[in-house]
Amino acid sequence: MASSSGNDDDLTIPRAAINKMIKETLPNVRVANDARELVVNCCTEFIHLISSEANEICNKSDKKTISPEHVINALESLGFASYITEVKDVLQECKTVALKRRKASSRLENLGIPEEELLRQQQELFAKARQQQAELAQQEWLQMQQAAQQAQMAAASATAAQQAGSSQDEDEEDDI
Amino acid sequence: MKMSQNSSGKDDQASGSKKPISLPISRVRLIMKSSPDVSSINQDALFLTTKATELFVQHLALSSFNNGSGKETNSLSYSDLANTAQETETFHFLTDILPKKILAQDYLNSLEQMQEEEGADY
Repeated sequence: MASSSGNDDDLTIPRAAINKMIKETLPNVRVANDARELVVNCCTEFIHLISSEANEICNKSDKKTISPEHVINALESLGFASYITEVKDVLQECKTVALKRRKASSRLENLGIPEEELLRQQQELFAKARQQQAELAQQEWLQMQQAAQQAQMAAASATAAQQAGSSQDEDEEDDI
Repeated sequence: MKMSQNSSGKDDQASGSKKPISLPISRVRLIMKSSPDVSSINQDALFLTTKATELFVQHLALSSFNNGSGKETNSLSYSDLANTAQETETFHFLTDILPKKILAQDYLNSLEQMQEEEGADY
């Protein structure tokens, strides 16, 4: 295992990502664990290599931010020129994906209904729903009250009927 | 209605297996920033570096396997990688992180040599 000199070397690409790449590159090949660990560390080393070189190139130019050009030049000067074409293609793809997303989101906004209007409609719907809920709740409450009243009346008349018709004396007076 | 304007290709997890980039871009950025003096990195430069790192992994793995001793047994060992790093000029920068194991091997080799030279019996 490579010894780490401070926090910088603790950062690595997740092992799982490397394992997946190795598997895709060398399907059916048994790769030793220490070999995998080495690849993980080589990645970090590679990234540092490219960053340092790109940074130097950047410093020599009058720019403060490392640009794609700087990275490409770094790859070239470090002997990785064979990567350049594919790497450029991917950049194009990433940009296209980003562009599609921006278009998609603006397409949504351009359904003809501006955001404020949609918000207003939403508030309306909510208010309507709340009202309906309130009405429903009130109805149920009324029904419950009516049912309770009817039950009371029924109970009262039943008691009265009992008192009138039965021989038993019930001295209870129901005060409900 | 807000969609991220800084979306990267790698975020297309749902769109099938053909993602442009598989390595985690944020991690690559962290590693880059831990390099001395590196201040700011353009997002596109980050994409490029991430993809280059992916290609590097593939390149290293393939070279090591093809030049290695495990080809017949379909295996890849640490020493395959170490040897390829030593033999391939563009991979020489890796020898910085290899010394421990190689040193041990070298030490054993030189130890053997010493024993032979001194005629010691073991």
